[in-house]
Amino acid sequence: MSVNANDIFIVGAARTEFGRFDGEDNELAETAVRGALADCGLVWSDIEFAVGGTNGETKPDNLVSRLGLTGLPFVTVKNGCATGAVALMTARNGLIAEDLNVACVVGYDNHARGAFNVSPARYGLGDWYGATGMMVTTSYFALKIARYLHEHGISQRTLGYASAKAFDYAQEHPYAWRRKPVSVDEAMDADMINDPLTRFMFCAPDAGAVSLVLARGSKAYDLCETPIRLASVALRGRRPGSFEVFSPWLSPGDRTSPSIDAAKAAFDLAGMTPADVQVAQLQDTDSGAEVIHLGETGLLAHGEQEAAYRNGEFEIDGRLPLNTDGGLLANGEPVGASGLRQVHEIVRQLQGRADGKQVPGAPRIGFTHVYGAPGISACTVLISEGAQ
Amino acid sequence: MNIPVGIEVVDSTLFSSVDPVVLAGSMCEACGAHVFPAMDSCPTCSSLDVTKVSLPTEGTVWSWTTQHFAPKPPFRTDEFAPFSIGYVDLGPVIVEGWLVGKTEWTIGEQVSLVLAKAWTHEGAPVFTFGFEAVT
Repeated sequence: MSVNANDIFIVGAARTEFGRFDGEDNELAETAVRGALADCGLVWSDIEFAVGGTNGETKPDNLVSRLGLTGLPFVTVKNGCATGAVALMTARNGLIAEDLNVACVVGYDNHARGAFNVSPARYGLGDWYGATGMMVTTSYFALKIARYLHEHGISQRTLGYASAKAFDYAQEHPYAWRRKPVSVDEAMDADMINDPLTRFMFCAPDAGAVSLVLARGSKAYDLCETPIRLASVALRGRRPGSFEVFSPWLSPGDRTSPSIDAAKAAFDLAGMTPADVQVAQLQDTDSGAEVIHLGETGLLAHGEQEAAYRNGEFEIDGRLPLNTDGGLLANGEPVGASGLRQVHEIVRQLQGRADGKQVPGAPRIGFTHVYGAPGISACTVLISEGAQ
Repeated sequence: MNIPVGIEVVDSTLFSSVDPVVLAGSMCEACGAHVFPAMDSCPTCSSLDVTKVSLPTEGTVWSWTTQHFAPKPPFRTDEFAPFSIGYVDLGPVIVEGWLVGKTEWTIGEQVSLVLAKAWTHEGAPVFTFGFEAVT
């Protein structure tokens, strides 16, 4: 097999268990980095370029004080829920632009309990918006899925299917946070948070870290038996007509979405279509988000979600195994780590060494999607070229 | 803007009139896009040629949810009870606001703009805008 020297591969990957963590944020990040280095047999001094992302207050570029003062360029990124994917994109771009061979990416966070508390001023909104109870992420997710279910004739029970699927995957995943199974009925009957979403239909902020090692094609097979090619990574922002969190107004007319745009760009750049995907990760901040993103990324036609869940299409032996590590619903969302968790899971699946349930039949093509405030999305297409 | 004596609102820039209650948005002279609250530039086409306008006071529920837990501060309330929030399609723009008077709604339902008590400040009520069902 010929390898293009300009292709970028993931050669090492590691994550921490997600959940509550009492130590320092940097300890989490260091654990993940050292794990990713060990995964491909490298040491920190081999890394030529690094990118770190967190939504918290610590400085990722100061990780060098724990990992080694090698003088390497270390870039910090902070793009909300898309932080991990942006870190990955930045590292890829750095390798190509600087003509380097090996880069390390790390994303981490260690959030306080409970829903995010965001200041209206950070979003350019007046104090009235928070004071009247509208600066609430859960109500946004509820308002968005309520409209989507209405427009596409999808039942509320579909949201229960999405939750039950997530916790079913998680019970066999050693790094997931919430591993207790939840039935569709339990999900539907749980305390209502924001109609139509119950307690089991939301992810919660928590702690965790993920790290990846990237290498150019000329080096990838020296470092890893089955490196996974980063066929594309695309980041897009919102256009008029999108429906984003903390929006006092929406424009009428056709709806747009940064997820639609980012997914299309990622598929186009990779020369692939949604029908090629054999294992996928979608942003499931809530059950409704997964339902919406199935449609927006093109993995499924709008309105077909309910039947697909019922028919088991997203289960491990289904047509499109989805969020096979339990997704955000079961892993929680350490914002800086979450997008890289998705990539980590796909890499492991394509390498045939999943930490939890393994997709059968040696899948070759994977897809990841993150989405978040203030209306950004990033997608990747990941391809296994097999062992050389 | 004329605010009647004795009526305090959460933010006077949201309103072009308080009695009768009318919301103040802005309209882009270049592309026609309406936004709320009023802005001094157009997020659709980037034009700076925007005009303050009064928004329609009647519309339909575009989406809704009921908030079953008390939001963290800076949310203010005298005593928490579940309340509904929705997007209301006013025609030129879809506006987010309280849906008052009940906690179960139907998309497409007719609503009209009202003043709604948000909290009490130094013994006096402070009002925000909301929408109630047209009966």
